[in-house]
Amino acid sequence: MRTTLAAAFVAMVLVATPSFAHHSAVMFDENKEVTVKGTVKEFQYTNPHSWLLVDVKNNDGTVTTWGFEAEGPSTLTRAGIHKSDFMPGTEITITGHPMRDGRPAASWIKATRGDGKDFDPRNGFAIK
Amino acid sequence: MSNRRHAPQGWRLAVLAALVGLAGAAAAQPSTTPAPSPEKKKMTQLGIDQKTAVGLYAYFKQKAKGGTPLTWKSVPDWTGVWTREASPFFWDPDQTSPTSMPPVKLTPPFEKQLREKLERVNRGIEFDPLSNCEPAGMPRWMVEPFLREFVVTPQQTYLVNEMQNEMRRIYTDGRGHPSKDDAYPLWEGDSIGFWDGDKLVIHTSQMRAGQYQRIQPAYTEQVETVEVWHRTDATTMTVDVWSYDPPALVEPWYTKQVYKKLSNTDNSLRIRYWDCGENQNNTVTKTSEGSSDFTNFSFTKGDKK
Repeated sequence: MRTTLAAAFVAMVLVATPSFAHHSAVMFDENKEVTVKGTVKEFQYTNPHSWLLVDVKNNDGTVTTWGFEAEGPSTLTRAGIHKSDFMPGTEITITGHPMRDGRPAASWIKATRGDGKDFDPRNGFAIK
Repeated sequence: MSNRRHAPQGWRLAVLAALVGLAGAAAAQPSTTPAPSPEKKKMTQLGIDQKTAVGLYAYFKQKAKGGTPLTWKSVPDWTGVWTREASPFFWDPDQTSPTSMPPVKLTPPFEKQLREKLERVNRGIEFDPLSNCEPAGMPRWMVEPFLREFVVTPQQTYLVNEMQNEMRRIYTDGRGHPSKDDAYPLWEGDSIGFWDGDKLVIHTSQMRAGQYQRIQPAYTEQVETVEVWHRTDATTMTVDVWSYDPPALVEPWYTKQVYKKLSNTDNSLRIRYWDCGENQNNTVTKTSEGSSDFTNFSFTKGDKK
């Protein structure tokens, strides 16, 4: 898959991460991480899951849209992530566990916005 | 890009191992849970002594001399936004590993069924009916994560979980359950209760068959629960729960569930209505092998929009 080769860094890692509470996460490869750099196309701030769509430019000039899944708005709010944090056009570097079937989608682990601010959607279940 | 749909089983085994920080997790390992506390033993024995959920509820009611009707002046303050403290993936907060057997005495058929499920999960085969916004239903309702509200009025208490918009109604106006002839399985069951001071005692019956969580034991339509809800400090709600289900459980399964009140000084935490259909990208279906996969994304060239 060209996008992966051109713009993504895939690493084998062993990490302890929670599954999604609403559906099984078996479609994602929890042993791999994919990191892409691009611009936000759309932040679908929806229940039961949100999707952050990121346009990633490939080496040949084409663009692949990646989707990063996270929990829904209330959990993201608890993680300090608001819809307004990722307006279309925002520069972003984002990491997730990729789909096993090769489609450009992943479960969102962490992200760094162009201005250097970090976002960790998995803080949304912390009790505070 | 290609739209390959292969998912080697070997990978899936590794996924679960990574998920729990274990190397090579074996299916249905024995429970690694520490020995039950003296309090848990005592509460379990109380459930055994009273034999049935109806018996335990009657015991509490007799002990409370019938209970104390609430007035608007005596309604306890259960306001705020709450969430469960323990891992959402275990019914029993004492369980430590999702791939081990939970600390419960299951009947042989239900133990076999759970071991088979864990074996499938360890091969990466997993599907949750909640994927399509099916309600968790009681008793599973108690362990789902996300936000909760507890609304107390003198005649009824409403226990709300954000997930799947599930709300339980607890009638505390003295009514009983519907007659057997009118009873039928319900997602949240039928709940009646009474107040013992600032403690709410609930008996729930008429529940649908289900599972305590995605990789937890199953329960039958015969399941009944007794709960004692008590706000023990400003940010803590403790709930003693006894689950009775003779086909599945050798003895009542006692657990202490804890919910914590979240800080919400800016009022940003609000419970919203959920609809799985509002975003195509959230559509998850059961695969032919019984596992889970997304159907069609809206943002990929290979998928149908």
